[in-house]
Amino acid sequence: MNRREFLKTAAVTGATLALPGLLLPDGSAAAAEKLDMVVAKGPSPARITRAAVDAFGGMRRFVSRGDVVVIKPNIGWDRTPEYAATTNPEVVGTLVRLCFEAGAKKVKVFDHTVSSPRRAYKQSGIADAAAAAGADLSFVEDRKFREMKIQGETLKSWPLYTEVFEADKIINVPIAKVHGTSILTLGMKNWMGVMGGSRGRIHQRIDPCLVDMARTVRPTLVVLDAVRILVANGPTGGDLSDVRLMNTVAVSQDQVAVDAFGSTLFGLREDALGCVRLGHQAGLGNMRLARQKIRRIQA
Amino acid sequence: MENALAPESGKTVIRKARLASQALFLLLFLWLFLQTESKGADQLGYPVKFFLDADPLLVLTAILSSRSFLPSMLLAGAVALATVFMGRFFCGWVCPLGTLHNLTGSVVRKRRRTVPKGSFRLKYLLLVFLLASSAFTLQITGIFDPLSLLIRSLSLSVYPAFQYGVTSFLDALSRWPVPGLAPAADWLLDILHKGVLSLRQPLFNQGFLLGLLFLGILALNWVERRYWCRYLCPLGALLGILSRRSLLSRSVSEGCDSCGACVPGCEGGCFPQSPDKWRKAECYLCGNCDDACPKNVVSFGFGRNPAAQALDLGRRRVIAAAAAGVAAVPLLRIGPTRAGQADPRLIRPPGSLEEREFLRRCVKCGECMKVCITGGLQPALTEAAPEGIWSPVLVPRVGYCEYRCTLCGQVCPTGAIRSLKPAEKPDVKIGLAMIDPGRCLPWAHAVPCIVCEEVCPTPKKAVLLEEVVVKDRDGRPVTVKQPRVDLDRCIGCGICENRCPVLGKPAIYVLSVGESRSRENQLLL
Repeated sequence: MNRREFLKTAAVTGATLALPGLLLPDGSAAAAEKLDMVVAKGPSPARITRAAVDAFGGMRRFVSRGDVVVIKPNIGWDRTPEYAATTNPEVVGTLVRLCFEAGAKKVKVFDHTVSSPRRAYKQSGIADAAAAAGADLSFVEDRKFREMKIQGETLKSWPLYTEVFEADKIINVPIAKVHGTSILTLGMKNWMGVMGGSRGRIHQRIDPCLVDMARTVRPTLVVLDAVRILVANGPTGGDLSDVRLMNTVAVSQDQVAVDAFGSTLFGLREDALGCVRLGHQAGLGNMRLARQKIRRIQA
Repeated sequence: MENALAPESGKTVIRKARLASQALFLLLFLWLFLQTESKGADQLGYPVKFFLDADPLLVLTAILSSRSFLPSMLLAGAVALATVFMGRFFCGWVCPLGTLHNLTGSVVRKRRRTVPKGSFRLKYLLLVFLLASSAFTLQITGIFDPLSLLIRSLSLSVYPAFQYGVTSFLDALSRWPVPGLAPAADWLLDILHKGVLSLRQPLFNQGFLLGLLFLGILALNWVERRYWCRYLCPLGALLGILSRRSLLSRSVSEGCDSCGACVPGCEGGCFPQSPDKWRKAECYLCGNCDDACPKNVVSFGFGRNPAAQALDLGRRRVIAAAAAGVAAVPLLRIGPTRAGQADPRLIRPPGSLEEREFLRRCVKCGECMKVCITGGLQPALTEAAPEGIWSPVLVPRVGYCEYRCTLCGQVCPTGAIRSLKPAEKPDVKIGLAMIDPGRCLPWAHAVPCIVCEEVCPTPKKAVLLEEVVVKDRDGRPVTVKQPRVDLDRCIGCGICENRCPVLGKPAIYVLSVGESRSRENQLLL
């Protein structure tokens, strides 16, 4: 890394760390009431996504005219949507549309996949859905990773995807699945998809690493896709008998709260995940769902 | 100088048509080559093995060596039949390697012709050698066949080097502190990635060696125009034999005084200056003699079938070539793998036939390696018997077998790799994963890690985790999940080995043991 790159990286990282505090006003004028989370249920993934965002104050509250938005779904695996290994394509497509309706200049969709990217993008249905909605769909390229400083307890620096940090707004769209070490993979775990290098190593201390990543990449919005959830043999899946239809999406700005809520979908306590507990302790968010204003709607 | 001898301009019609045809087929070939890459769908969608399917030599020897008919014999048969009627149009008008030789040869100004006179016979003897060996079930034609050679060389060497060169050049450019340069380089890279460059940099074992070999073959143009085609190409030899009584032919009328003006331009070296000694089997119908002839006595057309010189190879030479072909069969098969002990590293692509059957069909064209979505299929060097050199081997540390991908079987021209239906693929085992507890983090080092389990693609995980409490250096209990492979469920895809964070030597690795194509190479009852 030369000096120029270092300065650029430091500036990007610093700006990213400073920005969320400025961008996330406590009581937005657009929000009808001050909500911490909206959970929408219904048979149409597109409709519940739209309804949830609307009930949460509408996309205009989060995306401004001319914004470049990054939407980060989980496209990790070469599976078709019914296997619940990748984010629901209708949810992704709807979010892209909502961003454009709010005036976004450009909406980028990508993920650093585990399976071969071409198959994962195509088979997940996300390539077609995002493209149909007008998103810029791109494969992750090695040259766009830059070693970045992370103000973390465990991670001090890691190669991260520059496009995430160059965006004006970030929307995290994970799918809810079981996972071997972190018990579940939800929102915070989804940030593995912007990591380069030998990211498999973070499994050695997964929870603090996930919190460090959640500290570094602060989303404008988290939309948890629980249309279908994977209850066993995750995160890859492949057996329809391990899939449960929940017809649910949850929208929040609080990464910890979303993951706490996600745990309850699996019959776990809200504080079941290590990354949720650590995130809560670190002040990254609130895992106490009972103390939050959560609106549940049918759509 | 050649041009000075070509008088009128109206004559260049044949030449122009030929150049157009050559350009068209070369572009078609390169386009199909570039399409030999996954777009993410289950089917590749393009007939990328078209040129191989149309190759009479490959198809004939594959039929001989495998003792079975191939669907491609219709197309290849049509090419052979067309050659019987129309001569070696394939060499002069179609063959992409021939066109590359033309292009290479066109930069050569002076040649020192030191090629012995009878050298043209070499390719016929090579053909006899290959036919004899394939009749005795050895398939090494693909080593010499021009189309197989070209696809292999491009796939494993030229294209990877091209991509490496282009991307590193543009990368370097984008780092220059010149405003506007970085976005321009990025823009160009994005464009190139859309059609010309592969999504990921292809890298192959022996790429250097195969590239050197290919450059060497091209460099022979410095010795003689289209050296490879004239003296070595076994496909050219086969087509030459087929073309000896063709209806479409060159003819020379009375006025020829053997001035030799046609000799320098002749592609095939068919002795065009002498109507008596003209070797019809060496004529590519290039039309250059027609262009060059100052007397305008050369013409090409149907129905004229002048007596051609007999193809005299010499009986002793033919017998020797055939004997060598037969002798090559055992010679290239003696190796320890013949003793029934499969090489544990010899992990064949999914759908591969049983090893002996596989080797009888594989023409080492490299299509499967080109199309392999993870780049894990690599050319064998010593893993297979000597006859299996450059046949595909999965090297999981380089790239694993993508669970639902069936592209290698779709592009295999001879059925050495069966084209699997998507529903069949999950049942095909190409090997088994084994854990090395001496290196595995949770087993040996009290460090949590579940990467092999996480990435395992079987619907019911073939890597099982067992929660165990071990002690760290201070004697405190640490809970880790130790992986274990379920040998029934494991299909040997190798993604666990590919992603194992234990560098150097992975703590989980795949061996060919348990591959469903073999009856002997099994572990379980």
